[in-house]
Amino acid sequence: MNSYLKQKLLAFPAILLLASFLVFAAVRLLPGDPARIMAGMQADQATIEAVRVRLGLDKPFFEQYAEFLIHAAHGDFGTSIRSGKPVKQEIAERFPYTLALTTTSYCFAIVIGLSAGLLASASQGRFVDHLIISSAVTAGSIPNYWLALMAMTLFCVHLGWLPLIGAESWRSYVLPSITLGLLPAAVIARMSRASLLEILHQDYIRTARAKGLSRPAVYLKHALKNALVPIVTIIGMNFAGLLGGAVITEAVFSWPGIGRLIVDAVHFRDYAIIQGVTLLTVFIVIAMNLLTDVLITILNPRIRLD
Amino acid sequence: MTIRLSQLLILSSIVFGGCTPIRHPADEAVIMQTEAPRSMDPADHTATYTRAVLDPMYEGLTRFDDKLQIRPSLGTSWSADRTGTIWTVTIRSGVHFHDGSLLTAQAVAASFDRLLDPKRGLAAAGTFRRAVASVSAIDSKTVRFFLKQPSASFPNLLAIESVVSPAEDRIGDLGRKAVGTGPYRFVEWKTGEYVLEARNEQYWGPKAAFRRLKWIWTAEPALMNMALLSGEVDLVNPLPPVFAEALQHDRRVSLMKGESAAVFWIALDMLVKPLDDIRVRRALNYAVDRGNLIASQLRGYGTPAFSPLGPADSGYDPETRGYAFDLAKARALLASAGYPNGFTLNIAVQESQANIAETVAGMWSRVGVTLAIHQLETGVFAQTIFGDPQQKIASNTQCVLASWASANLDAEAQLGPLYRSQNWSPKGANLGFYRNSKLDRLLDEAESELDRAKRNELYAKAQQMISDDAPDVLLFYARDLAARRSQVKGFWLFPGGQVELRATTP
Repeated sequence: MNSYLKQKLLAFPAILLLASFLVFAAVRLLPGDPARIMAGMQADQATIEAVRVRLGLDKPFFEQYAEFLIHAAHGDFGTSIRSGKPVKQEIAERFPYTLALTTTSYCFAIVIGLSAGLLASASQGRFVDHLIISSAVTAGSIPNYWLALMAMTLFCVHLGWLPLIGAESWRSYVLPSITLGLLPAAVIARMSRASLLEILHQDYIRTARAKGLSRPAVYLKHALKNALVPIVTIIGMNFAGLLGGAVITEAVFSWPGIGRLIVDAVHFRDYAIIQGVTLLTVFIVIAMNLLTDVLITILNPRIRLD
Repeated sequence: MTIRLSQLLILSSIVFGGCTPIRHPADEAVIMQTEAPRSMDPADHTATYTRAVLDPMYEGLTRFDDKLQIRPSLGTSWSADRTGTIWTVTIRSGVHFHDGSLLTAQAVAASFDRLLDPKRGLAAAGTFRRAVASVSAIDSKTVRFFLKQPSASFPNLLAIESVVSPAEDRIGDLGRKAVGTGPYRFVEWKTGEYVLEARNEQYWGPKAAFRRLKWIWTAEPALMNMALLSGEVDLVNPLPPVFAEALQHDRRVSLMKGESAAVFWIALDMLVKPLDDIRVRRALNYAVDRGNLIASQLRGYGTPAFSPLGPADSGYDPETRGYAFDLAKARALLASAGYPNGFTLNIAVQESQANIAETVAGMWSRVGVTLAIHQLETGVFAQTIFGDPQQKIASNTQCVLASWASANLDAEAQLGPLYRSQNWSPKGANLGFYRNSKLDRLLDEAESELDRAKRNELYAKAQQMISDDAPDVLLFYARDLAARRSQVKGFWLFPGGQVELRATTP
């Protein structure tokens, strides 16, 4: 393992520790009292205080943080104020849904984005190119909230082809995946087009053409492979954005993933859930960045991580 | 090869349209609400929509029927002693909890005892703890409640306090698993998706209409509308008035309109100028065109509020004199109070109710009063409005737009927290710091009066007294609205918006 990766892996726990402190402090700085929210608007002061003591929120900040760290070190991230379930269990129940949704969205985005980019670069300046680019700009500009509602009205209410709510069959994945994947697809399409056009003017492409290689061979074997470095970077960087997009998409489609979990948790000041989900997100983003770095070196051995 | 749009559509319809239709079984009801349940323990939440989910699984000693009359439930009869402080309830025989244990007076007493223990920190125990000093089982069929002060409406309170299995409570799992005696039993709670309930075949009363009940939720109102039209859900609650207008002519759907219990009002900080002047408060009342407000914000699904009690509350007096819209009177009162050119006020309002505040601001601007609106997220809103007088000054909040519906339709549960002197925020919900010792005494007297007619007379006086003092600007009673698919019948709305399933047919 090279020193760059070692450094990154060593920094991993330190980043997580720092993130845990920041999240722990930030949720407590949020205005709004979890005990009041739990007890409701009609509760009297005595009931609210009793709830506060039960939740352990009456203890000093650093005592609460120390308890959190000790428990976290043993794999216990606390209990949801709202559901009474362990945070680990809540995340374990919900994360597979988000993972499945983001994976299908990403597959959609990569397939559509790369194909569109390839097609556009192959027909530069022609009608197809203009069509793809203007479609990509449009797709990138449409708020996915609006798009989701329009698609639901057509496919779920009027045509009745797809389910509106839940995640119970493959059909449930169609609309949320497309809605969530459309923006990254547009970004990938534009990025791959630009990257390919740059590569296509390189000398070695001219050489490949001159030695009589077929057009698909030139595109797929020589141009695309070299154009992939910036595309992979964009895909990796976009993953965090996709998780953010899942928050909105999950809310609109009533998708039972962590996006909806954290929205509800913020609404109810469910500190343990906010902390758990945020730390998981930090972990995923760091891991994805690391994975992107490694992938780039595999794609282009001239780039060294150290 | 060129694929035409028409070919693509045909292909899509084969792929998707060839699949089984998106419907659930006819003997299963799917109900969609705006909020996820907060707990499976009826004593550990105060949310209307959680109560709706738990209601089919739990029962109280009494219950409200669809005419809002108190009826026997797990208690078959009840009586009070002459002082009105000791209530004796006879427990129904042959009832079992869903875990198989027998319902006894001891189990009932244990179920209520946990509410009296402040160390449990149960979120909804406050109402019961304020009223009851102790509970004891006299024999296996009789429970006695010792109240802190006489209360004629105690059977109302028993209707909203559910009896839970003491065995399950000892395990400590009630927050995640409901165990009561109701016509439906708990099956599963997937916190991100649904709560599933199944018919309780051993139920002591009439069998439940549906084999299964599924409760789902979304925060997106447009989705509720679409889910109902697509047939994926049988009932949506609450229905925003804007969709009610759109759905009322659709034969597939029937609107459900409930009796109003929720009062919307603007609390005025009576400790600060200019709101310490009764002329100013009355002027602000006269300056609100309630009919217009209801037409524009509730699409007509509401009634102007002139009494601080809701029409569904016991003791509501529709004859209470309030402040009908009269700009000339408002201007004259402001001028006599020394504010002919008006003044500026700040109002704290939840994001979802900002439109109401904006409409009122437009109305008040006609008498020179500028209303600066502070839209706050729910958690921040709760923190702001429950500030003490100094905190209210520090946050520059003179007005609060809020609503309140008494869960047990009792006048004291509505008037006590909002208007009693000892319930100044943050201790209670007297958000404008209203103090009237005569009213306090009147409410004491009414609460302990066991004769219903006399009690109503006392509450009528109290309503008029509050209206005359104008500690707030009463706006409207919002009508509860829900919608169901037309073939699913028997649901009704309990005032406050809770969907009830008694007497449902699949």
